[in-house]
Amino acid sequence: MMGLLLTLFSPIIGGFIYGVERVVKARMQSRQGPPVLQPFYDFVKLMQKRPMMVHSFHASMGIMYFISTWFAMAVLMMGNDLLIAIFFHVISVLALTIGAFSVRSSYSIMGAMRELMHVVSYEPVVILLAVSLYLVTGSFDIAKILTSDITPIFSLPLVFISFLGVMPMLLHKSPFDIAEAHQEIVGGPDIEYSGPFYEAVYTARWIEYVYVYFIVFLFGGSNYFLGTFLVVFSFIFINAVDNSTARLDYKKMLKFAWFILIPLSMLNIFFVVVGAN
Amino acid sequence: MEALIVLSIVLPLILGAIIVFAKNDILTSLLTWMMLPVMSILAFMIYAADLPIYVDTPHVLHWIITLFDFGLLAYFLYLGAKRKSMLVSVLSLVQFILLVTVIWVLPESSTANIYVDKLTAMMYLLVAIVGVPIAIYSIKYMDFDEKDKHLFVGLVVAFLGVMNFAVSANNIEWFFAVFETTTLFSVIFIGFRGDKEAVDNSTLALWMNQIGGVAILLALLIMIKDFGVYHFTDLLIIDKETMSMAAFGFLSLAALIKGAQLPFHKWLLGAMVAPTPVSAILHSATMVKIAPFLLLRISPIIEGTLLAKLLILTTGFVFVAAAIFALTQDNLKRILAYSTISLLGLMMLAASVGTPTAVAVSIMLIIFHGFAKGFLFIEAGVLEKVFKIKYLQEMNMLLEKAPLTLLFIFFAFLNMTFIPFGVFVGKWLMIEEASGLLSQGSSVLLIALVAIGGVFLSVLYMKVLGVTIKHHRFTDIQVQKQPKTFLFVAIWFYLWLLALTIFIAPFAGDFVAQISNSLTGETTPIHADGLSLVVGESTLYFWQILGALLLLAFIHIAPLKFKFKNVDQMHPYNCGEVYTRQAGTYDFLFLKKYEGIANMIAITLFMLVVVLGGQLL
Amino acid sequence: MNDLRAKSPWITHYNTGGCNGCDIEILAALGPKFDIERFGMLNRGNPKQSDILLVTGPVTLRCRDVLRRVWLEMPEPKVVVAMGSCTHGGGVFRHLYHTENGIDGIVPVDVWIPGCTPRIEAIIDGLIEGVEIWKNKTKEKEYMVGHSEKLLEKIGVLND
Repeated sequence: MMGLLLTLFSPIIGGFIYGVERVVKARMQSRQGPPVLQPFYDFVKLMQKRPMMVHSFHASMGIMYFISTWFAMAVLMMGNDLLIAIFFHVISVLALTIGAFSVRSSYSIMGAMRELMHVVSYEPVVILLAVSLYLVTGSFDIAKILTSDITPIFSLPLVFISFLGVMPMLLHKSPFDIAEAHQEIVGGPDIEYSGPFYEAVYTARWIEYVYVYFIVFLFGGSNYFLGTFLVVFSFIFINAVDNSTARLDYKKMLKFAWFILIPLSMLNIFFVVVGAN
Repeated sequence: MEALIVLSIVLPLILGAIIVFAKNDILTSLLTWMMLPVMSILAFMIYAADLPIYVDTPHVLHWIITLFDFGLLAYFLYLGAKRKSMLVSVLSLVQFILLVTVIWVLPESSTANIYVDKLTAMMYLLVAIVGVPIAIYSIKYMDFDEKDKHLFVGLVVAFLGVMNFAVSANNIEWFFAVFETTTLFSVIFIGFRGDKEAVDNSTLALWMNQIGGVAILLALLIMIKDFGVYHFTDLLIIDKETMSMAAFGFLSLAALIKGAQLPFHKWLLGAMVAPTPVSAILHSATMVKIAPFLLLRISPIIEGTLLAKLLILTTGFVFVAAAIFALTQDNLKRILAYSTISLLGLMMLAASVGTPTAVAVSIMLIIFHGFAKGFLFIEAGVLEKVFKIKYLQEMNMLLEKAPLTLLFIFFAFLNMTFIPFGVFVGKWLMIEEASGLLSQGSSVLLIALVAIGGVFLSVLYMKVLGVTIKHHRFTDIQVQKQPKTFLFVAIWFYLWLLALTIFIAPFAGDFVAQISNSLTGETTPIHADGLSLVVGESTLYFWQILGALLLLAFIHIAPLKFKFKNVDQMHPYNCGEVYTRQAGTYDFLFLKKYEGIANMIAITLFMLVVVLGGQLL
Repeated sequence: MNDLRAKSPWITHYNTGGCNGCDIEILAALGPKFDIERFGMLNRGNPKQSDILLVTGPVTLRCRDVLRRVWLEMPEPKVVVAMGSCTHGGGVFRHLYHTENGIDGIVPVDVWIPGCTPRIEAIIDGLIEGVEIWKNKTKEKEYMVGHSEKLLEKIGVLND
């Protein structure tokens, strides 16, 4: 029941997170920033624009990106296997990249290709995260992870750190906002969407916030207070990093993910396995 | 029932011979089309029968097959001399000597030479449902400016019989004979067009597969010396604890070579110079599938040994490396070949892990990879013949040129990696199983290999899909006329894949789990709860399966059918300029320089498998 | 709903060949001191997702068709804010061989911000006035100055 409610309201929760993020970001730059409800004003605005598209397939892929992200959210909340939810996320990436590939726009295609590089970077770490959660709690089931006696963060500090490393890739934050790259390729895969269709993509990004921060929350186990603390900590950390770093290129991102983050996760898993036996 | 088994082996051979010698268009079509219901019904009847079945064969057959062996080796020797290939000649001679030795020391055995269990019956089904449509397809394919149509179709049909024989052989000496026969067929197929490149590649395939033959003969010798038996079923009942692994080291070497694992992948890549049905049939239902099949046969013996661990390492390495090198290719058929090599690695990895779930994974992958790869190669052949498209760059705007083919390719690619299709379920189960093993404190590397290998394949398929619909204006899409045969085969595969995916839970929970149970003798923790798939504590709910299927169905049909009404079209943003836009995709060519290193690592791992795994030290 | 909408105007800024003085002021408006994100304004740089086209410069001949295309790519409702003397008839570039003498012959303009360069307060004032006009506009399709099929053909948007 809780899962259903969370799924239904995840766009709204995500919108709030995004609104708070914009305020936090502005304050970090000593600006006043927009109101907290700003994402919803944007939402209303985009709904009222005249619909315009490059072609039907491209526009429909924007909507499919929204639907499949929401569906992945539903699977995460209501299914009983974290791994399946992670693989559902790939479907939404498929919708986004295929849509971006389909238009005759260099920025869009370049963005799609970079989005795939994002997948190569973060996907192994996220899968290893699920596996390591299974290792310490004995289950892939989210309900069981959230009620287990063990607090995963204490056994999996390195996995948590490497997940902090991939969160900018998942959420398209600097230094790994390579696919979106607003000053460089004008938003990458999102560029050709406009009006209501862009609104779908925009909202899908909010759902991704909830999706990613919920995975962070899992590290708290049955200690919900700790979980909330971890979410707040990672939120501030990600925004601080976002504000204080410049964008890297995709090769640096790949190297960072493959030669630092994955070995870190593996090291942690190795220690857990050795320690348990 | 014995008669049915013999029939399903002999019938394709006879029909193939008739097709080759009659050289009649109508007869060829008639017989090949007739094969589809006949072979399917045969396979279904055998599967439904009370398995396993032992078929006793007359003693004279044994001598015929031995004689056939010598004939085959003599032919290889002749080929080696004719093509001036030292390797082929030397390997033929070595095999000749080893074979003579084997026959010299071969003890009498009363065990039946043909053994059909659920795994074999499953392979019969695969050959009938995937292999025969490819034979039908090749009839039409060869009409497009190719020579020797009847010879080709006849050989394809006969090859199915050989494959059926290969999976039912219990006697390892017979298995060697069939193994070499498949080698012969691959040489004929690859060299079919007769130009220099084809002949060179077929020679390559010949000597590589001959190494596999040598390995089997060595395994046979060691087996006779150590245990005194040379049947799969006899080996399975020997006490595992005291067993020497040397023979199985060589057997798995043969499997690795047949499965085109790095560095022996070149022969499978070389196979693309042949007509496309050859690739389709080699990759999907036959030939390379012998490799996981062989490992599945010996998996109860090698489970948990050092040999199995080294095999996991080798195949897992290939799984990742081949997926990475697939990114560097720009020829559709080569991309498909690399992804086959990669997935074969996963199949063999699962087979060497050997737990009930892992065996089920291996079987799932064999089946679904067979369907999807057969489908993909068929469409690659259609692109090549009807639309004259071979390379990835030419596939831009494919939707305008070949919308229906794009739809099929799209669906087959989705089948290769996305939830809820069979290959995905295989990968998912493998990760769960590896995690389970991990919590018991073993195979840390296994989880890393399984977790990261699949990512490259997903990215590869997404890139190829992106390229196929790249640069598109979606103005007037007209469905091109295709030959009806091509259409029939494509729809046949499409519907099978769709049906199997919707009913994936009963399929995996009943069909695959039963085979896995019969192979391992334990209960596989996979079962179907209605249409939801339950694995241990995890569940793939039916609403998830259906939801993902609907999402992906929309995504792959939308380019053809979906239209927004009353929405204005606007040109893409290009900073307000109207220059022609050419955006390429990453070609990843910088990865190519690591191919040598990967080959070196693979060779090292091969040595380790034989020497350390086989306890030769 | 229109009031809610008025809180989220996104800007595309296009310099049609001016001296960059105005552009520096626009960037200053985004900075901490003036911070136009208070009004929900973002500099998107992508006309397809923007509502206000903020134009500077005298419109050189090279930029003329680009300006038209950028304007076409913006979905309605949209407003054009012309900023700086150059856009009002050319400014110091008036009657030069390569300019169009301001933008009112190219696209329909809603707000004019005078000054060379305008003060930031003036920019914000102009933008707010633009938002007031934008609030009352509808989805109804707008047309360029001198709209015709021939013009669209000429600037190359029909078969792009």
